[in-house]
Amino acid sequence: MSPEIPTILALTVQKLNGDLAENGAAFAQGQMGLIGTMLNFAAKEYERGADIRVTENAELRALFAALAPDVADAALKAKLEAAAATRDESLLISKLNENNYALRRLLTEAQIHAEDRGDSAAQQRIWTVLKAMAARRLVSLAP
Amino acid sequence: MSDLSERLQAYLRVKLDAPDLTVSGLSRIPGGASRETYRFRARQGGQERGLILRRDPTASLIETERSAEYRAYEAFHGLGLPVPAPVALELDPAPLERPFFIMEEIENCQAGAILSPDPFGPHRQSVGRQFYTVMGRIAAADPRDVGLSDFEGETDIHDVAMHEVARWEKVIDEDEIEPQPIARAAIRWLKRNPPPPAQKISVVHGDYRTGNFLYDEKGDIRAILDWEMSHLGDPLEDLGWAIDPLWSGGGDVARPGGMIPRAEGIALWEKASGLKADPEALTWWEIFASLKGAAIWISAAREYAQGRNIDPINAFSGWFTLAFHNNVLAQRLGAAA
Repeated sequence: MSPEIPTILALTVQKLNGDLAENGAAFAQGQMGLIGTMLNFAAKEYERGADIRVTENAELRALFAALAPDVADAALKAKLEAAAATRDESLLISKLNENNYALRRLLTEAQIHAEDRGDSAAQQRIWTVLKAMAARRLVSLAP
Repeated sequence: MSDLSERLQAYLRVKLDAPDLTVSGLSRIPGGASRETYRFRARQGGQERGLILRRDPTASLIETERSAEYRAYEAFHGLGLPVPAPVALELDPAPLERPFFIMEEIENCQAGAILSPDPFGPHRQSVGRQFYTVMGRIAAADPRDVGLSDFEGETDIHDVAMHEVARWEKVIDEDEIEPQPIARAAIRWLKRNPPPPAQKISVVHGDYRTGNFLYDEKGDIRAILDWEMSHLGDPLEDLGWAIDPLWSGGGDVARPGGMIPRAEGIALWEKASGLKADPEALTWWEIFASLKGAAIWISAAREYAQGRNIDPINAFSGWFTLAFHNNVLAQRLGAAA
């Protein structure tokens, strides 16, 4: 997700200390509603954030392990095998994100390779993971 | 706020050649993420009217050209569509620190809430019929006849789709703060599966949807707002954007924007525009709409994360709406793979 919770909380404080009141009641009410929604999102992300990232990273590594044997491009194959062998050493969100971003970049490389080769089986495998990733990252407006 | 009010009054007295004009009740109102929006009253010669001030923010959800937006208001108000009358455009930042424009306030109306599953209640039929018909009339207008033939955008019917893909790909290239594999996959899909040529080049509103128009207590649409992304393009772009699932607010996606059934709306658009909504082409523009949405939310996230615009709507866009459109794209393109 972007921006991350520490940024949102810090800028929310800045907003609350800033120009809310001087702009009038209707504007302040709208801003407060949005701030409330963001704090609600942040509470949920506090609970699920590490789990989402650990699960996503594990799925990407498993995908790379499954794709690598059929990848003709030697350099890409080596990168997929190397990435599949990595693991999350820390549960800090910042470290999980660091690993996640590297895995996501490699996912795009693997997907382009599969598209260029017309490898429909690999493309379907990749989309299965992408669909799960997207669904998992959805945010509910419910309290 | 009083300083802004005084400066606005001084400006209008000169601009409208009205030395006795007074400004009162200036207050900022919610909405308008790409412009600061204020309501105020202007009294002159015993007459009082409500006006809206739209001022450039220090940083915007999406970089847009305010003179283009103002000209779109002029053009379509002049055509008799429900569009507020423009009053003044000022590109010189001196009077109010940043460029701005002023238009009439459409009073006693409301906008539909985009995250409500039933934003129009008993007016959904009436509002929906007008919504698609007005959109069709915008598509039917010849850009030359309304004085907008020099608007930004591609004018070759064969190239217009890829022009728009390139435009939003550039936004993602510039503003992405974390890898976006779904948006990247969508861009490749759009390039590999081009739509048929546009039937014509029209003025595209660019953000025609629930939440961007006002309707009154009788269910009549009184004002189409937020023309800041208007440009020349394929008229199907507006239709694809208008029926995007985001505007259904988690409600019935078969009733886009919480209004009338999709097929009924498209038929009304076809009748008003004189164009056909070819299913293959419309599918492409629907995928494009979700990609365009993702690009806008990616841009909003960057504005926020860098502290350039800390309006919480930007944090919301970079989180909730980006995740929403990523999911729409993944489920649609994943099903087609």
